[in-house]
Amino acid sequence: MLSLDIQLQRGNFDLEAKFSLDKPVTGLFGSSGSGKSTLLNLVAGLAHPDNGWLKLGEKHLFNSAKNINLSPNKREVGVVFQDSQLFPHLPVTQNLLYGYKRIHRKQRRFEMPEIVDLLEIGHLLKKRPAQLSGGEKQRVGLGRALLASPRFLMLDEPLASLDQGLKQQILPFLKRVKDELNLPMVYISHSMEEILHLTDYLVVINNGRILGDGHFYDVIKEERVQGIANTMGLENIITATIIDHDIESGHTIAELKGNRILLPLTDKFSIGDSCYLSIRSSEIAIAKQHISQISIQNQIKAPIISCTKNASCISICVDIGAAPLTIDITPKAFSDLSLCQGDQVYCLIKAQSFSFLGKAG
Amino acid sequence: MFDLSPTEYSAMMLSIKVSLWSVAIILIPGIFTGWLLARHDFIGKSLLDGLLHLPLVLPPVVTGYLLLLLLGKQGMIGKWLYQNFDITLAFSWRGAVLATALMSFPLMVRSIRLSISSIEIKLEQAARSLGASAINTFFTITLPLALPGIITGSILAFARSLGEFGATITFVGNIEGETRTLPLAIYTYIQVPDGNEPAQRLLIISIILALSALLFSALIERRTALWLGGK
Repeated sequence: MLSLDIQLQRGNFDLEAKFSLDKPVTGLFGSSGSGKSTLLNLVAGLAHPDNGWLKLGEKHLFNSAKNINLSPNKREVGVVFQDSQLFPHLPVTQNLLYGYKRIHRKQRRFEMPEIVDLLEIGHLLKKRPAQLSGGEKQRVGLGRALLASPRFLMLDEPLASLDQGLKQQILPFLKRVKDELNLPMVYISHSMEEILHLTDYLVVINNGRILGDGHFYDVIKEERVQGIANTMGLENIITATIIDHDIESGHTIAELKGNRILLPLTDKFSIGDSCYLSIRSSEIAIAKQHISQISIQNQIKAPIISCTKNASCISICVDIGAAPLTIDITPKAFSDLSLCQGDQVYCLIKAQSFSFLGKAG
Repeated sequence: MFDLSPTEYSAMMLSIKVSLWSVAIILIPGIFTGWLLARHDFIGKSLLDGLLHLPLVLPPVVTGYLLLLLLGKQGMIGKWLYQNFDITLAFSWRGAVLATALMSFPLMVRSIRLSISSIEIKLEQAARSLGASAINTFFTITLPLALPGIITGSILAFARSLGEFGATITFVGNIEGETRTLPLAIYTYIQVPDGNEPAQRLLIISIILALSALLFSALIERRTALWLGGK
């Protein structure tokens, strides 16, 4: 599908990227200033690399050796911008048709009624962009990009300027586009949760370098990605299967390699779903014995694999069966308990310390 | 009081004619230059910018005299124009149009440049990614969105043209019916013993013309703001 190998130097910033995407949806994950947006501009033809090549299927978009540089309007790459960028002087219908009118009848892959239905924007058609809410604008922006019949769609932080409630309203539409239209997409975001909502295949970019690409679980475990993962509270990611929602006790219950764990109650996942959970390494306590009469709901027994001394804490790595779990404790706590490798300990984790990242594929 | 004499009437009509022509000839170059300065970086940009603003800061007499030196019948360009095309600019109303055009061009460019700069560049990028060519994007996105600035610029230029005095009188003189525009006519009347009354009539007309232009500009601005704001 999309494959590239490009270099670009602009002032202090340089970007080197090489990867190829073949999944229906790929998340491009990175913090702001990491080069995500530059990468989008390069693919869409809004900026040009110094060197390298870019291909969409068999079509060359850019090739410095062959002197190919297709202009943005010939690339068939659709873009959904962060702030929707609807044309303020045109009513919604004209915005939607802007790209549609500019492609040959035979190359049109989507028709207006179909997209209007899919995104539920029928009641907005006569309005002007200034009359729309943020979420409505974003849906129209998505519809406009789709109606231009791109062969590849790039979404640049489409939810970043929306508040949390609205995000939850837009995500289902993105999912619909993914499920119902056969259109490969790249979803650019600095929010792992958003990405995982749509896909668990991702490319991680930082400081203009691709740190990893592949399946979420594999990428996040890669050493080069650890640094970023840690700053985001993704030190520990485990996969668990939801087995029950106990409304009375206020817990969703999951199974983790023979251990029952109690999670905060959620309605985002149903019984039988496998999902990614994250726990910050500083949110886990260690005890040498099982403790009764304590509010902490999860006590998982596990052997210590290793103890590593860091700048301000000791990182204890334990094996909970499914994956290693990193626990940060202070040197004092470490010596008080006189822990060593091979000891069986209990990991104490509050239900509320688990965050749901997304559904595991 | 408002029975204008034929002389006064012709001064008023000449002023309007010269101003309209001057706006007409600088409109397209003004849009192009405004766009060039707003959207492009190139070698010599500051120089071009400086040259464009020169008529704003130079004494108008200097601009007029420069025009006379270059475009007068004996001037480098003027001679060539006369010999090859039989065009005379000096001491004709066409010369007055040129002088006022030059004087009001910077105002036009400034206003257009500002309005193009304020258009989110991502809107143009969105249009490109939706399949519009660069030229098509300019005409369907940039130009309509810059319209308020283009209109304001045109009206400012028109009002500036109405008042142009120094460059005009230096380059094309003060010939009744040919180059004697409103300010020149007022000046002339002030010089003669019983010119007070006609001078005051023309003064009022000048105020009315300038004020209408500004009011019209404010109206258009409000309209386009509503149009873009969609409320």
